[in-house]
Amino acid sequence: MSNGQSDPLLQMETTCGSLLYELQIIWDEVGESDAERDRMLLELERECLEVYRRKVDQANRCRAQIRQAIADSEAELAAICSAMGERPVHIRQSDQNLGNLKEELRAILPQIEEMRKRKCDRKNQFVEVLEQIQKLKHELSNSSGYISTTLVVDEADLSLRKLEELQREMLALQNEKSERLKQVLDHLNSLNSLCLVLGMDFKQTVSEVHPSLGDPEGSKNISHDTIQQLAAAIQKLREIKIQRMQRLQDLAMSLLQLWNLMDTPLEEQQVFQKVTCNVAASENEIVEPNMLSIDIITFVEKEVSRLEELKTSKMKELVLKKKSELEDICRKTHLIPETDSSLDIAIEAIESGAVDATYVLEKIEVEIAKVKEEAFSRKDILDKVEKWMVACEEESWLEEYNRDENRYNAGRGAHLTLKRAEKARVLVNKLPTIVDALASKTSSWENERGIEFTYDGVRLLSMLEEYNILRQEKEQERKRQRDQKKLQGQLLAEQEALYGSKPSPMKNQSTKKGPRLSCGGASNRRLSLGGTILQTPKHDMLHSTKATPNTRHAKKNDRLSHDNPTRDDRFQAMSSGRRGLDIAGLPLKPHSLNPTNAHEIELPIMRKPFSPISSTDSSKSKATNILEDLNTKHNEMLQKTLTSNNTSPFTTPSKTISTMDEENRTPKTMAIPMPSTPSTVSVPMLTAITPAPCVPKSMEDEDIEYSFEERRAGFVLPKDHRKSLVQI
Amino acid sequence: MTAVPQSTGRELTSPPTDGISNLRFSNHSDNLLVSSWDKSVRLYDASANALRGEFMHGGAVLDCCFHDDSSGFTACADHTVRRLVFNHSREDILGRHDAPVRCIEYSYATGQVITGSWDKTLKCWDPRGASGQERSLIGTYTQPERVYSLSLVGNRLVVATAGRHVNVYDLRNMNQPEQRRESSLKYQTRCVRCYPNGTGYALSSVEGRVAMEFFDLSEAGQSKKYAFKCHRKSEAGRDIVYPVNSIAFHPIYGTFATGGCDGYVNVWDGNNKKRLYQYPKYPTSIAALSFSRDGRLLAVASSYTYEEGDKPHEPDAIFVRSVNEVEVKPKPKMLPNPAT
Repeated sequence: MSNGQSDPLLQMETTCGSLLYELQIIWDEVGESDAERDRMLLELERECLEVYRRKVDQANRCRAQIRQAIADSEAELAAICSAMGERPVHIRQSDQNLGNLKEELRAILPQIEEMRKRKCDRKNQFVEVLEQIQKLKHELSNSSGYISTTLVVDEADLSLRKLEELQREMLALQNEKSERLKQVLDHLNSLNSLCLVLGMDFKQTVSEVHPSLGDPEGSKNISHDTIQQLAAAIQKLREIKIQRMQRLQDLAMSLLQLWNLMDTPLEEQQVFQKVTCNVAASENEIVEPNMLSIDIITFVEKEVSRLEELKTSKMKELVLKKKSELEDICRKTHLIPETDSSLDIAIEAIESGAVDATYVLEKIEVEIAKVKEEAFSRKDILDKVEKWMVACEEESWLEEYNRDENRYNAGRGAHLTLKRAEKARVLVNKLPTIVDALASKTSSWENERGIEFTYDGVRLLSMLEEYNILRQEKEQERKRQRDQKKLQGQLLAEQEALYGSKPSPMKNQSTKKGPRLSCGGASNRRLSLGGTILQTPKHDMLHSTKATPNTRHAKKNDRLSHDNPTRDDRFQAMSSGRRGLDIAGLPLKPHSLNPTNAHEIELPIMRKPFSPISSTDSSKSKATNILEDLNTKHNEMLQKTLTSNNTSPFTTPSKTISTMDEENRTPKTMAIPMPSTPSTVSVPMLTAITPAPCVPKSMEDEDIEYSFEERRAGFVLPKDHRKSLVQI
Repeated sequence: MTAVPQSTGRELTSPPTDGISNLRFSNHSDNLLVSSWDKSVRLYDASANALRGEFMHGGAVLDCCFHDDSSGFTACADHTVRRLVFNHSREDILGRHDAPVRCIEYSYATGQVITGSWDKTLKCWDPRGASGQERSLIGTYTQPERVYSLSLVGNRLVVATAGRHVNVYDLRNMNQPEQRRESSLKYQTRCVRCYPNGTGYALSSVEGRVAMEFFDLSEAGQSKKYAFKCHRKSEAGRDIVYPVNSIAFHPIYGTFATGGCDGYVNVWDGNNKKRLYQYPKYPTSIAALSFSRDGRLLAVASSYTYEEGDKPHEPDAIFVRSVNEVEVKPKPKMLPNPAT
């Protein structure tokens, strides 16, 4: 019995056997028949079999269920994978069976769980993108309704490819959106600038197009409609701008005309300078804020109307101005203005309001034109009259001058008066012919026109006649004086015979002349003040340019020598010396180029500043001695210059040039003897000859010339360029 | 003679921090445009003594000029030509040369910008095509040498280059020079400026000399030309000669001022061949000069021009002096001239 407890089947078998045994004992006791016993045993066997069959069926059903579950899971897994466009993670390999069915099911369940999660994630992504797309589409199309909340995601296709496709679509939409936004902003900008110029409220204008546009921070409506509306608004404003601009320019034009007419003071104009400077501007040139605002236009309009009013009130002044202009012209042409009274009457009439001022203005203008025309016809004769007048003036001056006993005394500017007298004499000699020509011209003019030629109201012919008479009288007077002089001369001769010789007035004059010419004084000053010219050097003119003296100098010599031939030599030496003070030479003059002259120019080099110019009184030979010394010296110096030029490179900016030394210094100190404040006195330019442009040989060896800026910037010419430069 | 105040004029505050390459007054106001080696371009209001704007470039700015009162052009050592709009602080690139751009001029007659460069070319630009070189460049004209100075009057353009070449162009026909000349002066050209009356030009050299030239090629026309010495100093019997960096013509009287490395500014009357005035000495070399539009102001850039290489020097400064009429008006002859 204890053994049977350890094994229930065995125990059961034991129990079955013991039960059978008990049954046999019971049957034996009862005395059942064998047949009954067999039947009972068969029944027992049948019932046992039934129980077994039931259990087997049950187990079989359970197995089928598990199989079905596995197949379902696998199917789902495959469906998810295909929807997500991925290779199935799990493909059951029948040959590699994992064991029994329950294990298999356990293995597949976590996989399917994970795939479900992934699918869910993917779906969320899709939803997100689709939402975005929908939102963008909505913004772009501006369907005023709300975004429809129904979002249908096609569960069958959740592949990455599809996602990318959608994302691409989204990006495209985003791009379009930003483009539209940019367009809107562009439009807003131009609208803003237009509003600024026109003085309009930008916010209001924009809000009218779409309320969202006025908000600087918030999102802007970017639909096609809005953009078109914006464009239309811009177009409208631009039209307004052009309109206003034309209006303003018209106003500015009339402003300018009025100013011009009335000589409006500049300060008054200044206020509108901004407006008038845009008279000819084109539409896009006007950008100044508020330039075309209604305020400005009305402001300018007011000014124009004010000026218009002023103009009418000033009409009288204008008339007077024109009248004075007329009188001015008359005065200039020596005409007597015709019947002033009629104009005076007209002005009175304007004051009383009887006559329109513009009418009078026109009348005066017609008058002016008439007078101008007449003046033109008179011009020829007037010019001649002018000449005649000048000649007469010179004549009277000459008379005055001739009376002056001291006229030959040396003094400042004496040589100028002398010159003037000479000119005057020539002019006076011409006077009779001038008068004759004038008279004939005038009478022909009078014949032609049939009216008298008046000069300041007097008939010109009678003036000429008067003058002729006066002249004849003077002639007679002069003749009388000459006779008297002759008488004096005779008296003098008698005295000479009695008391010995005495200087003749003629000789006296010449001795006086000497010192006057030589004393530096005014004449010297004038010479040195005159600019001294030089010819900019030509290649072959190193010496010859120095040698040529200037024309004025030559002229002077000619004239003086004409006056007094005996003085000529001395004077020339002296004056050329003096010229050397400030001049180096002047080319292209028709004067001889003698070598001594060239050296004479260097004479002042040796002279100390302020030393007396006494050499004029010394003999000529003495002077030439000095000159010869100078010759050699000068040559040496020239030599030196050239060599120094050869060696010194171009690049040193502040180098010394020895030849210039004395040339420079002498004129500076000598030219102006009275410079109390030298900075304000005009100083002659130091025009001097440039040494002949002999290119130093060192140039080729030297580097290429560079300016200060190039050297500072470290600029170096490329090598191929350098070569070509050397060849040049 | 009345005592003249010995002043150099009002000094502008906040000057450039390095050498001043050029300065110019506007044709419309007293605005003054200044370019400098410190890579900046500055706009001053000269009458108010105020700095109105500043632009920084990629290299030293070698020249500048006005377009209108609100914009200008610059020539830069980074080879670039730029247009500046002052009140918007905007800069456009007009185009580029192959080497530093030395000088720039704007022609009111043709509306073109003309630049000269060390790449031995002259280029004309249309400032309205500001969006790229291919649209703004009008033409490129080869020069015999590196361009050192330009000047314009009316339709005439005078180009001075290294090697003492001078080309005279007609802006309406830029294909070839109207005249090809050689400088009358023996040494390197520093500056060339046309007479305001359009009959000729003045040209200065590194050797203290200025030549007065005329366009008229007839013998009579050429006989008027001359040269004179200036900006020199006598010391111990030796003449020290200074470069003449700048010439500026007075817009009304046609007289002109020269500035040299000696720090002096002289005013000359070219017709009467006289020096009218010498201003008191400035601290260092005169790098540039400009008269204002009405000639009442003279801007003087006192700035070392590196004539003696890198060495310690006075600070760079801009002086604006009001010009007395006496200083610039041609003096009538002392006595009535008897010559008719």
